[in-house]
Amino acid sequence: MLQFLVDTALRASDLALIALGLSMVYGLVKFPNIAHVQYAMLGAYLTFFLRAAGVPLVGAIVLSCAATGLFTLAMHLLVFRRLLRSGPAIAMIGSLAVAMLIVAVLQGVAGSFPRMFDLPLSAPHEFGDARMTNTQLLTVGTTLLLLVLFSLLLFFTRAGRAMRALASNRALADASGLNAERITRVVNFGSGAIAGLGGSMLALSTGAHLNLGHDLLLPVFAAAILGGLGNPLGAVAGGVLIAFTETAVTNLNFGFLFGKPVAFLPVAYIGAASFLILLLALLFKPYGLFDRQVRRV
Amino acid sequence: MSDFLISSFTIAGIYALMALGLNLQAGWSGLLNFGHIAFAGLGAYATGIVIQAGGSGWTGALVGVGLAMALGWAVARLGRQLGSDYWGIATLAIAEILRTIATNEGWLTGGAQGISAIPSLFDGLPRPWNAVAFLGLVLAVVAVAALSLRRVANGRFGRALRLMREEPQLAACMGYDLKSLKTRAIMAGAAVTALAGSLYAHYMSFAGPDYMVASETFLIWTMVMIGGMGNTAGVLVGVLLVQAAYSAVPFAKDFFGFGSDLAGALRLGLIGLILLACLLWRSEGLVPEKLRKIPA
Repeated sequence: MLQFLVDTALRASDLALIALGLSMVYGLVKFPNIAHVQYAMLGAYLTFFLRAAGVPLVGAIVLSCAATGLFTLAMHLLVFRRLLRSGPAIAMIGSLAVAMLIVAVLQGVAGSFPRMFDLPLSAPHEFGDARMTNTQLLTVGTTLLLLVLFSLLLFFTRAGRAMRALASNRALADASGLNAERITRVVNFGSGAIAGLGGSMLALSTGAHLNLGHDLLLPVFAAAILGGLGNPLGAVAGGVLIAFTETAVTNLNFGFLFGKPVAFLPVAYIGAASFLILLLALLFKPYGLFDRQVRRV
Repeated sequence: MSDFLISSFTIAGIYALMALGLNLQAGWSGLLNFGHIAFAGLGAYATGIVIQAGGSGWTGALVGVGLAMALGWAVARLGRQLGSDYWGIATLAIAEILRTIATNEGWLTGGAQGISAIPSLFDGLPRPWNAVAFLGLVLAVVAVAALSLRRVANGRFGRALRLMREEPQLAACMGYDLKSLKTRAIMAGAAVTALAGSLYAHYMSFAGPDYMVASETFLIWTMVMIGGMGNTAGVLVGVLLVQAAYSAVPFAKDFFGFGSDLAGALRLGLIGLILLACLLWRSEGLVPEKLRKIPA
């Protein structure tokens, strides 16, 4: 049972940071950025290369986060700001093109062979009947710490209040003298850096590989949509829900349904589980579980 | 060399059919369908499965078109109450679910190995002529599809679709049933695309889950965007350009001595670069849609 919770927490921390950034930026620019998951992959590769160049692990992760954040900012300034003038659909297709370019460049530079991190092996910690390795503890701990810091920032500082105001009503926030462009830039940098961190931490266990971004695309979007795009902490809750379902679906014994002693769902359907949640969410709660806005029809 | 050209043009023709199907949905109706390739996958798999079960190629194509239209209907129903970007993500998810099913239900689809030994259509003819005959068939289908789609686009249905894209409220006020318009546009696009998938299965003698990866959808999107959304001639130009870039990469690979990783990267990067440049500097495409303006 405890192992079940640990597995859920691990998967959730993979998804939470990336979904958080995606949702946060959506609140300001109002288009779903498909390239966001590729920023995570970029961060993973940068961390790998920095580490291969001799930078210690923590330093490599910090540098790679900063670089990914800057790249995200540059993409916003050079590409998406222009495309948004032609509407969100064009910007979304543009993010597709950016995603393809990132994958292409990384494939050209790093090759299609996965790059594993050679981390020192250590015996896993045991908590009752559950086990966690050092890396996993570090990942979950960092994610939790960041989430707490981010919530404090969002709800108890001026900057956080400005972000929320801008996300909920851009025209009014502009009229009240908030510098919308500057906030959008800061949020873009932040979301890219957080995505880079999420990708790097994910790569610590799976290695940096070319499908890292693509594999994250649908679970992360499912999490962000479940939480309501534009609601960063909702995205985290969505991520936890997705992680819980994925873990439950693979661990539950469906034997009682078929009258057989053992009937597990094939592991390959884990991904499909999260897409199914996404579809159900879109059918019944299309604007997220926590949606309270009144909409014009 | 001529073999290479024939095969390039055949594949271009098949992609042209898929792009025409997408153009009906994305270009004229403004629907962000990111799961378009699922229709082609259904066509390919239906052909493979029906032929394996002893049916004829015609039955396979018909079953594929029927299934794709049913899926199109379901997708359109799903989209009733969603914003366009949300709906785009939903279509992406549906295509991925179908691909997961195709990869895992080995008893039906052959799993990751797919279904092979699908007979090519003109096996009776001597060697160069079977490929030429297939090319002829594909080009004929493309011509029929392009001409009839253009006719539809200039008729009442096409005008209604474009009005729905530009001014949905006005279209609703004028008595158009937007739901039914969207559903019919998606189903028609699905039928054309499933036919293309069926032809592809015959051409490659194979149907597998690789046909349904999301990047194929993005490739078709690139073709439509580059050529000009909402313009049949533009879409065909876009298909030719992208296919030319694709076919040129193997030559560049031999010429410069690239590895296969770099060649794959070059292919993907080239498409991404063309798409991005097109969006930034010519977002209406190379051959833009001609909209009749009524002088005020």
